[in-house]
Amino acid sequence: MGTIDVCDLTRDYGNNKGVFHLNFSISEGEVFGFLGPNGAGKTTTIRHLMGFLKAQQGSCTIGGLDCWKDAAQIQKNLGYIPGEIAFFDEMKGSAYLAFLQSYRGMKNAGRTKELIDRFSLNPDGKIKKMSKGMKQKIGIVAAFMHDPAILILDEPTSGLDPLMQNRFVELIMEEKKRGKTILMSSHLFEEVEKTCDRIGIIRSGQLVALDDAQSLCARHVKTYTVTLENEETALCFAKDFDGVQNAQQRNQVTVTAKQTLEEIFLHYYGEEQQK
Amino acid sequence: MNRTLYKKEMKGSFKLLLIFAGILTMYITMIVGMYDPDLSDAIRQFEKLMPDLMAAVGMTGGNDTLGGFLSSYLYGMIMIVFPMVYSIIRANGLAAKYVDRGSMAFLLAAPVKRVTIAVTQLAALISGIVLLLIYCTVLEYTAAQIMFPGELPFAQLIRLNAGLLCLQLFIGAFCFLCSCIFNESKHSVAVSAGVTAFMYVLQMLANMGGKLENIKHATFFTLFRPEGLLLANTSAWIGAAVLFFSAVCFSVAAIVIFKRKEMQV
Repeated sequence: MGTIDVCDLTRDYGNNKGVFHLNFSISEGEVFGFLGPNGAGKTTTIRHLMGFLKAQQGSCTIGGLDCWKDAAQIQKNLGYIPGEIAFFDEMKGSAYLAFLQSYRGMKNAGRTKELIDRFSLNPDGKIKKMSKGMKQKIGIVAAFMHDPAILILDEPTSGLDPLMQNRFVELIMEEKKRGKTILMSSHLFEEVEKTCDRIGIIRSGQLVALDDAQSLCARHVKTYTVTLENEETALCFAKDFDGVQNAQQRNQVTVTAKQTLEEIFLHYYGEEQQK
Repeated sequence: MNRTLYKKEMKGSFKLLLIFAGILTMYITMIVGMYDPDLSDAIRQFEKLMPDLMAAVGMTGGNDTLGGFLSSYLYGMIMIVFPMVYSIIRANGLAAKYVDRGSMAFLLAAPVKRVTIAVTQLAALISGIVLLLIYCTVLEYTAAQIMFPGELPFAQLIRLNAGLLCLQLFIGAFCFLCSCIFNESKHSVAVSAGVTAFMYVLQMLANMGGKLENIKHATFFTLFRPEGLLLANTSAWIGAAVLFFSAVCFSVAAIVIFKRKEMQV
């Protein structure tokens, strides 16, 4: 049993929308990348984990506690960034963070200041007037301020500029080192490749791939055997293209073309359109 | 109850409370000032000229004391409708609006039980209503004491407003129930405002008397009887008690629904 367990989770919205018999488990200290095209069921799954929705069938547990019944207990040690961030618009950013701190029953500001500095956030304006990126930063601070052991992040870098995306990736790597369990949905391959131990790809509410990043890539290896004029050119070719010279036929070279994660994702994403 | 959330919501109610307090101040001072112990002729003439309309808004004199005067001219419409509008707006803002907008996610994503959230929001709504009515009571009494010293017995006013509080709690709890049932602001407002306004229209029709009087059995406003409360009639107290008890039932239902409902936030 892992820290986050999703067992046969089903929610049928009709018209093949929803999630169906979803099974996965995230162990302690693992960073899990949750990927899939728009409308595949990522956010629906996350809403179940957060206890916003009740499982129609199956169950989800975090740390052995039921995500629906024991939501408040689970939330003590959980940080969450919603896919669509909606704050109390009339509040100022700083007032909002102060509100959350007190609302959560935190004794002090926790990591708030450090995080504000890290993301060069100016929280003094009204949230309503802030740009998407600014709001996202506030969402990040709100999710990490109480230094939770478990993080559920729904497209955490949407709206951030590349520099801030990098800072976010750094933050995730640090948290990973500190032993945090993280579930992160994303559309950014680089981000996922850098941070995630394992990747689950969901499509039309069903898990279509679940493995670590290397294995996923290894599964999609294409090999070519190239026959060249003579042994010498073969040797050069092998050197230039990172190939292996055939032991018997010395003028033949085998090269393997690794697909990038991006290509693999597109492969999984695209299947839907082919249907 | 979560104190931080309660404080935030009371702050959020403040502006609206101020506006409604302002409107009520204007009406209360005006109507108290209109009272003439010797002859409330002008209004009686209105009554003679258009009895149906005056009856519809509950303005049927008959009682010559200041209490009686206020019960017909203030508690027929003004003291009912304005706090009611406050409840409709605020109840929607305390639950349905957050779910609709998605900001409820942040309230749920914290170690605070759903029941606690619902109780806090309801407490903020009720506090607003109580504050508004306390303000009205103080204002009415002060205005009466200044303009007509000794004409308005304090006990009478307290009875009147205690009954009114039961009615307003009933309306508030009903609006909060709507706010907890619906996930969209517009549905919550449509039902809470629609039902209460329709009930009030029925009350107006019933007040016009004749055959229409039977309509009074179809509206909860009948349970609020200002004239009866002035005289401390048992039936008026029973009406208020029924309203209060129903308010408690609506509140419990609202909290249970909020606890169990699924939120797409």
